[in-house]
Amino acid sequence: MRKWTGALIALVVIITALIIGFFYSQGSADLRGQDRQPLAFSHQRHAGQLQINCLFCHRGANVSTAASVPPVYICMTCHRALKEQTPETQKLLTYWNNKEPIPWIRLQRLPDFVRFTHEMHLAAGFKCTECHGQVAQMTSTPRAATFEMGWCISCHQRNGASKDCFTCHY
Amino acid sequence: MDLKRRDFLKVLGVTAAGSLLPGCAGETKKLIPYVIPDEEIIPGVADWYASVCRECDAGCGILVRVMEGRAKKVEGNPAHPVNRGKLCAKGQASLQGLYNPDRIQEPLQREGARGEGRFRPISWEDGISRWVSTLEKYPGGAVMISRPVPGTLSRLFSTFMKEISGRLLFYDPSGEGTLQAANRRSFGVDRFPEYDIANATYLLSFGTPFLSDWLSPVHYGLAYGEMRQGRPAVRGRFVQIEPRLSMTAASADRWVPLRPGTEGLLALGIGQVILKEGRVRLAQGDRSRFEKLYGTVSLDQIAAKTEVPREEIIRLAREFSEAAAPLAIGGGTASSQTNGTNTLMAVNALNLLVGNLGESGGIRFIEPLQGFPAAAATPVSDQALLNLKDSFKNKKRSLLMLYQSNPLYTLPPSTHFGEVFDQAAFTVSFSSFMDESTAMADLILPDHFFLEAWGDFLSDGGTPAAGLGQPVVIPRNNTRPVGDLFLSAAKRIGGNIEKQLPWTDFRTMLEDQWKTFLAREVPGQPFEIAWIERLQQGGWWKPEQRLISVSRRPLPESIESAQFEGDEKQFPFYLTLFESMGLQRGEGANRPWLQELPDPATTVVWGSWVEINPRTARQYGIQEREIVRVISPYGEVEAPVIFFPGNRPDLISMPLGQGHTAYGRYAKGRGVNPVILLAPLVDRDSGTLAMGATRVRIERTGRRGKPVLVDQTGEGTRRSPEGRRRSET
Repeated sequence: MRKWTGALIALVVIITALIIGFFYSQGSADLRGQDRQPLAFSHQRHAGQLQINCLFCHRGANVSTAASVPPVYICMTCHRALKEQTPETQKLLTYWNNKEPIPWIRLQRLPDFVRFTHEMHLAAGFKCTECHGQVAQMTSTPRAATFEMGWCISCHQRNGASKDCFTCHY
Repeated sequence: MDLKRRDFLKVLGVTAAGSLLPGCAGETKKLIPYVIPDEEIIPGVADWYASVCRECDAGCGILVRVMEGRAKKVEGNPAHPVNRGKLCAKGQASLQGLYNPDRIQEPLQREGARGEGRFRPISWEDGISRWVSTLEKYPGGAVMISRPVPGTLSRLFSTFMKEISGRLLFYDPSGEGTLQAANRRSFGVDRFPEYDIANATYLLSFGTPFLSDWLSPVHYGLAYGEMRQGRPAVRGRFVQIEPRLSMTAASADRWVPLRPGTEGLLALGIGQVILKEGRVRLAQGDRSRFEKLYGTVSLDQIAAKTEVPREEIIRLAREFSEAAAPLAIGGGTASSQTNGTNTLMAVNALNLLVGNLGESGGIRFIEPLQGFPAAAATPVSDQALLNLKDSFKNKKRSLLMLYQSNPLYTLPPSTHFGEVFDQAAFTVSFSSFMDESTAMADLILPDHFFLEAWGDFLSDGGTPAAGLGQPVVIPRNNTRPVGDLFLSAAKRIGGNIEKQLPWTDFRTMLEDQWKTFLAREVPGQPFEIAWIERLQQGGWWKPEQRLISVSRRPLPESIESAQFEGDEKQFPFYLTLFESMGLQRGEGANRPWLQELPDPATTVVWGSWVEINPRTARQYGIQEREIVRVISPYGEVEAPVIFFPGNRPDLISMPLGQGHTAYGRYAKGRGVNPVILLAPLVDRDSGTLAMGATRVRIERTGRRGKPVLVDQTGEGTRRSPEGRRRSET
C-alpha cells in the first residue's frame, strides 16, 4: 500500500512538472497567439512581394535597442492612397479613424535580465534575416530561432564576438 | 538538514504548484505602437534636455534624461558655471516633485471653513475669473509672497504688482539676509560676493554651512575640493568656528566650538592679535580705525565670553595672518542671532585687515551679467513679512497671493503671522503642493512643475549666468504655468497693465527678453539659431569674469552682544536649529528620496530628533532614544534623543524640515517642527529672524522613541541590534 502511495506521489509530481513545463515553454517561446494578431498582417505581402525594406517600418532597429513596431501613421502613408479594400485593411482604417493604436501581440521577447540591442548588431553588418529568418516568405511572423542563451552564445562563438557575461547581462 | 526523499518530493510539488499561481505572469504581451509618431522620440533612445534646477535658489544647470516622453534622471550640466556638472541630492530628487502623487492636479476652490482642508475642483475659466474679479474688487489691496524667482518671471511679477499698486515680497526662509546687510554696509554693494574658496590657502569659517546649505552648496563644495586637492603644492587649511559640529565642521581640519552669539567677539579677538603683532596689509589712514575697533575689549574678556582659550585665539590669529591667501567667511549659525549683521561685519573686518578684497583667494565682486532685461530677485527680510500684519489689520491690504512660499510653516507661531491669513479677505495660492499656507487658501490655481514649464534664472554673485529652462515633459496634470496666468489676468484687467504686459503667453515673453539680450550679445546671428543654441547649452554665460573694485570699507563701531529670550536659570540650554541638504526648511519633506537621505552626522532618516551632548544627558539621566520634551518660553516639542558629542554641553540642537501638518503623504505628521519653539526675535540691522536666540530646557517623558538610524544599531534599521541572525535567537 505504502509503496503504491509513493509511486502515486511521484507520478503526480511528474505530471505536475510536465504541465508546468508546458505552460512555461508556452510563455517563454511565445507559441501561442501567433495567429491572433488584431489584424492579419502579412510579411510575405509587404516585405516579399512589395519589397519594402525592413527598416521602413521597423525604424528603431538601426538606431535603438528596440526594433519597434511601426506607428499606425506609417501604415497609412500607403494605405491612405489605396482604393482597393479588404476586410483586414478595413480594420486598419477603423483604427486610424478612431485614432487608436493597434494592440499587436508580442511574439519576440527576451527576459528583463538580458540586454540586447538591434542597433549594435545591424551596425556590425548582420542582416535581419540572419536571426529572424526569411520573413519575406512568411504570411505571419513565426519564430525563426529560439532566442535562448545557447543560441546567442553559439552565434557569438561563430563570429568571434565577446562571450563575457556582462556583454548581455547588465 | 536531514532531507528525506519524500520530503524532497513534497517540497518539489508545492514549489511547482506555487509557480502556477499568477504573479509570475505580467510581462508585456502587447506591442502598442504610436498612432502618429513623435519626431523626437526613438523608443529606447534617451533625449537629454538642458534646463535650470529650481529646487533651491542657487540656479544650477541641469540635464534631464527623457525617454519616450518621460523624465527619468536629472544630472548636473557640465557646461554651467555654477555647478559644472555636479548636482546635489535635492536636484536629483526633483523627479519626485514632478511625479509626486500629492501634487495639486487642477484648480481648486475652498469649501467649508478656512483651513478645514475641503476643496472642490473648478474649471480654469472659473478660477481665473474669480481671481481677477477679486483683484478688481480690492484695488491696491494685493500682496504677493513669492519665492525669489530671478529672471523673466520676476520681471512679470514686479510689473504686474506695480501696475495694480500691490506689494511684492520675495521671501526666502533660508536666505542669508544678514550676510546681504553686512556686505552692503562693509562694501556698499548690494550683491553677494564670490568667496574665492578655491584659491584660498587658509579658510576661517564662522558658522557657515557652505558644504550643506549655504548660498550655493554645490558651487562652494566644488571650490572646497579645489582648495583641498586642486593644487599640486598646497592643501588649503580649513577651520570651522561654531557651537555645533555641523557636516561642514566635520570636514574641517579643526573645529572651534564657542558660546553661541559670540562669533563677532571672537573675530574681534583674532583681529586684535593680528593688529598687535603687526602682520597687516593696511593703508596708512586705515590703521587708526582698526585700532579703535579692536581696542574696545581685552583679549582675556573675549576668551572668557566666547569660552575659546586665549592660546587658541592667538593661534588662529597667527595662522590666519601668516597664510598666503587667508579668507574669513561668516554666516549660518553666526548670523542667526540678534547681532548677526554686526557679527558678519566683524568677520568682514578680518578680511580687510589682511587685505584680501579683490585678491585671488579672497572676497571678490564679479561684474554682473549686463544687458539682460530682467533682474535678479532681491529677497526681503522676515521683518518685512511680519510688518504685513499691520497693513492687513488696518485693511490697507486684503488680498493675499502665494507663490511657492509657505510662511505659516517657516515662520514661528510666536510671530503670529497667521493673523495675516485670518484677516485677508481672499487668499490665492499658485503652489503645486498643498503645503500649510496653501491649505488656508480660498482659491488654488496650481502652477506647472518647473520641469514642465519655461523659465530662466539669473545667477548673481560669483558666477553671473542666465540659465534657460525648457519644458522637458508634457504637463502631467491640469495645471497652468503661473506666468501665463498673470499675463491672462493682465489682459482681462486691461488698460495700462495690458500695455505693459502685452504678451499672450509666458513663452513669448521669455523669448522676447532673450531676443533683446541675444541681439546685443551675438549680433548678426539670427535669433532662431541663437535661441536654439542657448536652449541646447542651458543658458548664457561668459567664460571670463571681470572683477569690479569696491571702495567703501566701514568697520562696525563696536561688537554687539547677542540677545537671548528665556531666563538662563529656567531655560539653561541654547537652541540650534539646522537645515539639512535634503529637507531644507521643509521644502524637501515630501520627496521620499530626501527623507531617506541620512543625516550625515547621526544617520537618522525619516524623522526628527534632539541632539544632546552625552555628558549633559548623563547629568539628566537621559537614555539614548528616550523621548524628551524641549520647552521654550513659546512652545514645546517632543522627539527622541540622539547622543551627539559634537554639541557643546550647553546646547540642544534639532533638525528643521519635519513636522508638517499638510504637504502630502510623505511629509504630513512626520516628526516635529522645532520652529514653534522660537521667539519672535530678529536681527536688528537686517530684520532676519534670529533662529539661535531662544533658550530652552528639557524634560524627560520616560517614553522610548524609535528613531530610524541607518548605520547604527537600533530598531527599524537594516542591521539588527547585535548583529545576530534571527535563527540564533
